[in-house]
Amino acid sequence: MNRELEKLVSLHDLDIMISDLANKDINKQEKKLGLSPDTASSELQKMRKKLASTIQRKHLDLYNQLAGYYGNAVVPVVNHRCSGCLTQLPTAYFASSGRNDHVDTCPSCGRFIYWCD
Amino acid sequence: MDRQCFCIWNMSSKNREDAIAELLKEFSFQKTTENLLQNALETRELAEPTVVHEGIAMPHCRSILVDDFMIVVGKSTKGIPWPEKKISIIVLFISPVKPSGPVEHMELIKHLAKILSSGGAEKMLAAKSPSEGASILKFNYDGNSGDE
Repeated sequence: MNRELEKLVSLHDLDIMISDLANKDINKQEKKLGLSPDTASSELQKMRKKLASTIQRKHLDLYNQLAGYYGNAVVPVVNHRCSGCLTQLPTAYFASSGRNDHVDTCPSCGRFIYWCD
Repeated sequence: MDRQCFCIWNMSSKNREDAIAELLKEFSFQKTTENLLQNALETRELAEPTVVHEGIAMPHCRSILVDDFMIVVGKSTKGIPWPEKKISIIVLFISPVKPSGPVEHMELIKHLAKILSSGGAEKMLAAKSPSEGASILKFNYDGNSGDE
């Protein structure tokens, strides 16, 4: 997978972790387990900042814009469809070899897309 | 809880990173997916080690890379440094990212918290087989994975 695409997927997973720890119910359950979700969350935010600084500006700006608008900026392609907006992708998208070798976006919703293994 | 789990009952890993990798191998992901999930779980551990009881760790996350709940329970008789405390039981799970939000992920954490805080932790540490471990956590285990 393209390194930049990997970073975008990791950034998305980090954002999910941070938002989960901010969720009142999850936070409560993690505390019940003896964990410290608030400490973990602030550490994750630092890691996010560090990872974000390594992503190309144009991709990071688009990521933030998409995440703000849709909630999810990176989505997998499932059955030749963008799983964000369910639009069938043009043949050219999935006919090319090395599909995850570059950063691609859905032609309909603009989300970053990647192909599942 | 109607969730399938995998089990490895004689883990050979000697550190946290290797243990996560050994457990992830059970799912037969492709290399890239496996690496990204390893990275996500390690990131969570670096933020705060997920030691939920003496001898028990619970590495977990939600990820867009899985489309169903992935649960694997591991046991190490020698113990694995996590990184400071020795861990014998690892309950690793990855929840999918669904449009409905993190409700099911929260339910799974709640389910495990309830069991572990009501005597389940001690029972897990004493469990002698994968099926016994899975049954304490109320997961389905088909016996075709891991080592008896």
